[in-house]
Amino acid sequence: MNAIEIKNLSKNFGSKQAVCSLDMTVPKGAIYGFIGENGSGKSTTEKMICGLIHPDGGSIKLFGRDYTDADVRAKVGVLIESPGCFPNYSVWNNMKLQAANLNIKNADTEIQRVLKMVRMEGAAGNKYKNCSLGMKQRIGIAMALLGKSDLLVLDEPINGLDADGMRIMREVLCDLGENHGCTILISSHILGELEKIATHYGIIRGGKMIKEMTAEELEESCPTYVALKTKDINRAKANLACKYSRVEEDEAGYIRVYDAKEPEEIVTYLYENGILINEITTAKIGLEEYYIDLMKEGR
Amino acid sequence: MAQRELKFESPSFFKRLKGMLGVDFYRLFHTPMYYIFLAIAAIIPAMILGTSGMENPQTGEIAPQLYTNVWHIIAADSPLYVVNSIAEYANMNMVFIFGGIMVSIFIGHDYKSGYVKQLFTTHAKKQDYMLSKVIVGAFSMACMCITYLIGAVVAGLLTGVSFEVNVMSLVCAIVGKIIMSLGWASLYTFLNIIFRKYFGISIASSFFFGTGILIIGAAAILGNNSLLNIFLYGSSVYACLSANILTVLVCFVCSIVWAVIYTALGTRILSKSDVY
Repeated sequence: MNAIEIKNLSKNFGSKQAVCSLDMTVPKGAIYGFIGENGSGKSTTEKMICGLIHPDGGSIKLFGRDYTDADVRAKVGVLIESPGCFPNYSVWNNMKLQAANLNIKNADTEIQRVLKMVRMEGAAGNKYKNCSLGMKQRIGIAMALLGKSDLLVLDEPINGLDADGMRIMREVLCDLGENHGCTILISSHILGELEKIATHYGIIRGGKMIKEMTAEELEESCPTYVALKTKDINRAKANLACKYSRVEEDEAGYIRVYDAKEPEEIVTYLYENGILINEITTAKIGLEEYYIDLMKEGR
Repeated sequence: MAQRELKFESPSFFKRLKGMLGVDFYRLFHTPMYYIFLAIAAIIPAMILGTSGMENPQTGEIAPQLYTNVWHIIAADSPLYVVNSIAEYANMNMVFIFGGIMVSIFIGHDYKSGYVKQLFTTHAKKQDYMLSKVIVGAFSMACMCITYLIGAVVAGLLTGVSFEVNVMSLVCAIVGKIIMSLGWASLYTFLNIIFRKYFGISIASSFFFGTGILIIGAAAILGNNSLLNIFLYGSSVYACLSANILTVLVCFVCSIVWAVIYTALGTRILSKSDVY
């Protein structure tokens, strides 16, 4: 069963088409990285999944049921932009209010459980307004987890976090996915972070899903290459182009050779042609580069 | 990867409403503004009674005595839809103006804090939200009616004006006005749902309708016509010092009917439009 199944989803704001015939499948248990430029329709799609805005067309199914069903909604935890908390109440009281809305029995135990999961048990007594951004985002996730949510929809939860905040958030999300069986739909512009946790990806452009793939498929689509630096860059490029089919120079001045098996063969080959190498390494195209290339293709 | 068995549970309407009411009442009792409005409701009649008939220390002139009977600050002797003086206007119906502002601030805060976003992504239904706000709004206005009454009595004792009244009619008038809180709360909740993205307009519209200016205007054309009782302000005026059980019944029917209409309309608007 898929956690989210979207077919032909559309949403217009006046004459602006925010989402256009979008199809999306998030398998149960996946951590789904939802990627796209600003204004590409990520947040609109997520808000539609959460029931905050109405689609103009198409269908959204959550765990095989219509997304408006009250019983399926109770299984969805949401963090859209920032948590909806009352600033003058303590973290604990905000959690209590959400627990009351969710009709959770043994609310105190449940709140303690989720706060522990996001490593916020020590800050329960703090006023919400006095919490740091990272703490607020984790409170938002704790709120989304109340009532043992099976699906988390997180809209840019790591934006604005410092390195430590990102690390904690990453560990929390991985733990939720791996140890608690949560399906997570997460949008973010911080692709390096997303790459560390996502098992599936969806790339949206202009309100349309242009690519959906698993982390394994991304791995296969992202070739390994040998990157090297030399003083005689033009001659090296010309020589390498005679032997290898894909040789490119990147923005940092490195020559990338995509179809070389080992760096040693390049070192030997260039040495034989009288070119000395200053620096050589093997690397792999990451999600960020893959995404940028994909976006360039569409322009 | 851990797999969890999915269990779908639909909480009943009463369970959902109980949860939401719990949250709204908690918020109400933890909102300083609520106590400020209770205090204002008590101070206003005391101020009006206390300042009328006072001597101006600079000119030596004595301000006109607005009320000779303390209960006139609660309601007029007979239903006066046409208002000729401030004394005929200033009575317990003013509570519904403060109540409107309070409901606007209360609902406005739901949107400002993002609480609605948190709420409507759960199993909460729009109808539950409307009902909860109407009940809490009505409760807060009923409390203001009581503090207004206390303020009036205390001021009456201090100023020494007459307390003579038909107790049964007075009780009916006060009960009628308290019952009207429900209808007024539903109107304000409805207005705040319409203008939910414009906080200033929400407050202004609540104030505008709360003054009953439209009914007063209609009364200027129609005269003291009992047909005006079909409106919230009309029934609120009808609950006067000549009230009886029939008056309470009229207030009850008017309040319930408008509460049902506004709650249904508000629910429909919320269901058909984007929440956040």
